[in-house]
Amino acid sequence: MTTIARILASGSTALAVLAALGATPPAAAQEQPLVIARNLEINSLDPHRAFCDTCQIYLSSTYQGLVKLAADDRSVEPSLATEWTANEDQTQFTFKLAPDAVFSDGSPVEAKDVKWTFERLKNIQADPSFMMSGVTSIETPDPKTVIVNMEKPNSEFIGILAAPYTGIINSDVASENGAVAGADAATTDQAETWFLSNSAGSGPYVLDTYRADDELRFRANDKFWGKAPPIKEIVIDQSADAVSQAQMLQSGAADIAMQVDPDTAETINSPDITIETVPSYNFIYVVFSPGAAGNQVPLDREVRQALAYAIDYQGAIDFTVGGNGALQASPIPNGFPGTDDLPMPEENLEKAKELLAAKGLQDGFSVDATVAAMNVYGVDLAMLMQKIQQDLARINVTLNIQPVASAVWRQQITDPGIPFSARFYAPDYYGSAQYVQFFGMIPGSWWERNASQKGKVDLVNQKEVDLLQQALAASGDDVARLYREIALEMINDRIIVPVVSPNLVLAYRNTVEGVRYSACCNLPLAELSRK
Amino acid sequence: MFAYVAKRLIAMPFLLLGVITVAFLLTHFTAADPLTSIIGERQMNNPQVVQAARERWGLDQSLPEQYAIYLGNLVTGDFGTSFRTRQPVAHDLLLRLPATLELVISAMLLGTFFGVTLGVLAARFRDGMIDNLARLFALVGASAPVFWSGLVVLFVFSVQLGWLPGPGRIDSRAVAPPFVTGFFTVDTLLAGDWAGFRSVLLHLILPASVLGWTVTGIVSRMVRASMLDVLSQEYILAARAKGASPVRVLLHHALRNAMLPTLTIIGFSFAYLITGAVLTEAIFAWPGIGSYAVAAARGLDHPAIIGVTIVGGAAFLISNLLTDLAYAFVDPRVKLGGRAGA
Repeated sequence: MTTIARILASGSTALAVLAALGATPPAAAQEQPLVIARNLEINSLDPHRAFCDTCQIYLSSTYQGLVKLAADDRSVEPSLATEWTANEDQTQFTFKLAPDAVFSDGSPVEAKDVKWTFERLKNIQADPSFMMSGVTSIETPDPKTVIVNMEKPNSEFIGILAAPYTGIINSDVASENGAVAGADAATTDQAETWFLSNSAGSGPYVLDTYRADDELRFRANDKFWGKAPPIKEIVIDQSADAVSQAQMLQSGAADIAMQVDPDTAETINSPDITIETVPSYNFIYVVFSPGAAGNQVPLDREVRQALAYAIDYQGAIDFTVGGNGALQASPIPNGFPGTDDLPMPEENLEKAKELLAAKGLQDGFSVDATVAAMNVYGVDLAMLMQKIQQDLARINVTLNIQPVASAVWRQQITDPGIPFSARFYAPDYYGSAQYVQFFGMIPGSWWERNASQKGKVDLVNQKEVDLLQQALAASGDDVARLYREIALEMINDRIIVPVVSPNLVLAYRNTVEGVRYSACCNLPLAELSRK
Repeated sequence: MFAYVAKRLIAMPFLLLGVITVAFLLTHFTAADPLTSIIGERQMNNPQVVQAARERWGLDQSLPEQYAIYLGNLVTGDFGTSFRTRQPVAHDLLLRLPATLELVISAMLLGTFFGVTLGVLAARFRDGMIDNLARLFALVGASAPVFWSGLVVLFVFSVQLGWLPGPGRIDSRAVAPPFVTGFFTVDTLLAGDWAGFRSVLLHLILPASVLGWTVTGIVSRMVRASMLDVLSQEYILAARAKGASPVRVLLHHALRNAMLPTLTIIGFSFAYLITGAVLTEAIFAWPGIGSYAVAAARGLDHPAIIGVTIVGGAAFLISNLLTDLAYAFVDPRVKLGGRAGA
């Protein structure tokens, strides 16, 4: 045998040995932890500082709120609170806590924990703190009763409490580890690092281990007071992109792949894998900032309207997600209160040209379009911009696209502003007020501040302010009616122009059951089981 | 020799100080305020939160003050706290550096072994089929982007053939071994976890091969060129004339002398791979320094960026020193620390 033949022979033997080593007995596989492939991108595991999609999965599995979003994704059902009432003007909410609810250390969930949690969430002044804005005081007449008083009516407060960020924390344990709920919590709280390796909730799972950029591991809560989750151990394994996640799923290394885009999903041809495409409440929008320093012409309503008419919306959906998405009329996503029968965005080049001509801009102009270089919900924001660049060229408008790091985008959008950009949004809970408070042209909203650059251009829409106030005090059918009116106002503002609501791909091995998309929590882990 | 090593070791902190200074200045002249990655998007317009965050993270100090504080902390081993992971950077590096070293060492071993073997064979069978195949292999290895070759090998060997596991350092269902050295190969053995050890080895094969392929390409070409040069020397003719066997001539007389320039390449490759394993780590979900550096850069995580830079700088300095030492070991004519021509 020659040297080369020996090398080849030994190589074949090595591969055969590896193949044998790699095999896993099928029986053992049934008892193994369930693995979810996902890009973790966790900003924190502190329930009051966390604000990300994976955070929603984590928090809704390890903490419980007073109420939870039902499987219909619209109504709420009891969780830690067995019953609740609101006064007539929606300014006081009373909750009765489940008598047998306990935290993962076995201690009872009490009213003091609810009060401490809500106060910390408000005072820590982090991203989800807005959920407690308007709360003036919390009373605890007995260990199982909580009364929340609001400054103004807030008919969405119960819906907000279904958001994972409002999950109740074991106040004694958290306080012992540096957590502070007082008015100075924003500067004195020291618990964030502790929360990276510990959970202190009453949810079906507890945090086992977290290694940033590697894995997030859950263990079933031995002391869970509700129905025990079928899967005892779940791992969310870091996998940065759709292709890697699909490979993990196909090779059996993962049971669920969470961020497979429609294009990648088409490449999966395995009888062992289920692929479902479902509508989502997530959406990608473009946004005008008339107050941005870089504007070369005034981006007034007519100009914004003209540019919006020039966008080929269906083409954008086909281009970005291969048609696997939906049009969206207003910044309130399809299916939320007030969105029935709204007029969908329309492509109308003639109207666009007419509007520009009326402004003397028929020869066109340039617009700076800085966008975060990122792919979100399967949509590459820079590529979407390229598509819109082509669309706007038809009315002689030149889009100067500049992709930048996400952190740079956040800086620039705040100051000095970006004339034209693209961004995304996913719901924090089921309710329309969050969209009005974030996207609406009401004083102090995130986009009112940034689009006007702190009032350099007056964008405030007083109608939206008044209607929101009415909606928050309303009940029954009036709620949807009022939000519909607000949605029409927001469409007319033409500051935020939704382009695509991408569908969500659920890809999982056939051995897994209970995989579903949840508006608040992405993937409810406690509902997962094996066949 | 010892004086030479001592001199180099003494010079290292000063060189690193230069690296730290440059990294510190560069990170502070980026286009965005690092606060954008520390506090949430919704709070960027809240002056109270912004001020609190500035104070908490020391960003309210002047640049010279921040620099002085950073150096002072560094002396005590405090690399600062990551803006992104919210953990001490030293802790993050301690977790990730062994992962990268384990990958890079494996890649270097594979790459060097195959590179030298291919280079010797190519020189021995110059312009023959083996030489041409080796050239092709080297060319592809040196030029194929890792994001392509990584995905291809994953698809073929993991998805299609099922011979090897997919991304990660260990089976995603398995629990990582208790941290002792951070090298999973070692820690699983120390824990007596044979199944874990097997899983770790299998998980190493694909990323180490992909990363090592680049080294194989470069080393094999270097060895081939050096070998051809050496094989044409008169002392090789003399060795053959003395009756030395072809294998002895090739490996003992020729290869040893041909290894000198190759050692330089290997030394540089090691340092380069430590900081350059970024794509491999991304494709194979390998939680090492490379992926940490990318995430830090994207998130304007200044402490992490500087921490990684220090590690990268130290890796280059140490690998250079080791390369010089290897010179002296391989070629007795090289005297470290001596005057030129001595």
